[in-house]
Amino acid sequence: MSDTFQYFQFAFREVGPASGEIFRFIQSTDIEDEHPAKIFVHQIREKLKYIEGISGGYLIKKNSPVSVKQGSVQIDQTELQIGRQISDYLKEASSMALFVCSAGPVFTDMINEQSQQGNIMEAYLLDAIGSLTVEKAMDHVQQVLSDEMRQRGMHISNRYSPGYCNWELQEQKKLFSLIGRNPVGVTLTDSSLMIPAKSVSGIIGIGRNLRKRAYGCKICNNSTCTYRKIIDEQNEEYK
Amino acid sequence: MKLELINKLFECVEFGKININSPYPPQMKGLPGADEITQEALVAGVNPDEILNRALIAAMNKVGEKFTEKKIFVPQMLLSAKAMNASMNHLKPYFADGSVKRKGVFIVGTVFGDLHDIGKNLLSMMVEGAGWEVIDLGIDVNTEAFVEKVKEYPDAVVGISALLTTTMVNIEPVIKAIKQASPATKVIVGGAPLTAAFAASIGADAYGKNPREGIIWLDLQSQKMNN
Repeated sequence: MSDTFQYFQFAFREVGPASGEIFRFIQSTDIEDEHPAKIFVHQIREKLKYIEGISGGYLIKKNSPVSVKQGSVQIDQTELQIGRQISDYLKEASSMALFVCSAGPVFTDMINEQSQQGNIMEAYLLDAIGSLTVEKAMDHVQQVLSDEMRQRGMHISNRYSPGYCNWELQEQKKLFSLIGRNPVGVTLTDSSLMIPAKSVSGIIGIGRNLRKRAYGCKICNNSTCTYRKIIDEQNEEYK
Repeated sequence: MKLELINKLFECVEFGKININSPYPPQMKGLPGADEITQEALVAGVNPDEILNRALIAAMNKVGEKFTEKKIFVPQMLLSAKAMNASMNHLKPYFADGSVKRKGVFIVGTVFGDLHDIGKNLLSMMVEGAGWEVIDLGIDVNTEAFVEKVKEYPDAVVGISALLTTTMVNIEPVIKAIKQASPATKVIVGGAPLTAAFAASIGADAYGKNPREGIIWLDLQSQKMNN
C-alpha cells in the first residue's frame, strides 16, 4: 500500500450537489419554484459550475491493535483517543486511511460576503451547498480507496471525524500532525477547527475482516448532521 | 389609513416582501415592500411603537408559528426576517432616543471551540424581530467575553449555542462563570446536539429547541423583569 498522500482534485460540476439534494439537506423540500431560495440556488450552481480547487486525499498508515477498552489507536508514535464508540467500529482495522478534504476558501468568502450584506438566506444556502460539496468530494475519495482496497482483499469502514461520535475535536491536531504536509492546504485554528471551514478530516479503517458498521446516530439528536445524511443514504445498504 | 399600512407591513414581513424591487411573492410584484411601507407609515404619523408591535413583532410571531407547524421552512423564515430588518432600520432612531422600548437585551454567541453561526444568526434575527435588542458576540466566544458583556448589561439574558457534541460541553464553564459574576442572569442554551436534559445538567435556565420556543421563554423573562 502506498504511504504517500493520494491527492484528488475536483470541479464543482463533478461533486456539487443538485438542487433537490440541497433542499432535502435543509429539510425544505416544499418550497415553490419562484421562491428566491430556489432562484438563488439555481443561479449559484451555475456560477459555481466552473469553480475548481475542491480537493482531498488520504495517507495510509499501519496501526497497532485498536483498544476498545481505552478507546484509542496508536499510529506511528501517536495515540489517537478516538473514543470507545469509534474504536469498536474499527477494532478489526490493521491500517488507517487518514483523510482530509476541502471545498476550498470560496465558500467561506461567499458566505461572509452575503452575511455582511445582510443576505442571511443566501448565506444559509451557501453554507449548506459548501457542506454537501465537501462531503460529496470525500465520497469520491472514499470510493477510490474502497476500490483499491477491494482489489487487495481488504475492506474499509465508514469515515469518522474529530468532533463527531464522541471523538474529541482537540484530537484534530494529532491527526493533522500524522497527515503532515499535504497539498489540500487545510490549517487548524487554536481551537482545532479547520480553515477553510468547509473541510472534513478523519480516519477510515482498513482490514481484511473489517465490516462497515452503521453510524451511531440513534444516540445523537442532531438531525441535520452530515453523517446522519450519509447513514440515511446507506440505509438501503444495511437492510 | 394607518391600520391599512400596519396590515400591509404585516403582510410584507409575513411573506418576505423586502422592498419594491423584490420580485417575491409574485402577487406583490411591483408593489412597495417593508422598506417603503415603513417610511410611508412614519410619514403618515403611525406611532413607531405600533409599527414594531402590531406589524413587525406580530408578523414574525406568525412566521414563527408557521415554522413550528412546518408550514414554512428556514429559507422562508429568513426572507421574512430580512423584510423585518428592512423595516427595523427605519425604527433605529426611535430605539436610540428611547421613544420605542424593546423587551430587553439578549446577548448571544456560539461557545468557544465552535465556529458554527448559521443557527445562532437565525435565532438572533428572530429574537430581534420579537422586539429584543440583540448583542451578537459571534462565534468561538470565550468565557471572558460573555462575562464582560453580562457585566456591561446586568439585566440582559444570555443565549449560548453549540453545534457539535464535543463543543457543547464547553457551555458549562461559561454558565458557571456568568452565574458567578451575575447570579441573577438567566441563560438559555440551544443547538442541534443539545437536549433539555443536557441543558439542565449544565446549569442552564432553559433550553430552546427551536427559535420559537426560545422566544416564548425570553418573553416570559421580559414579563417577569417588567413586573
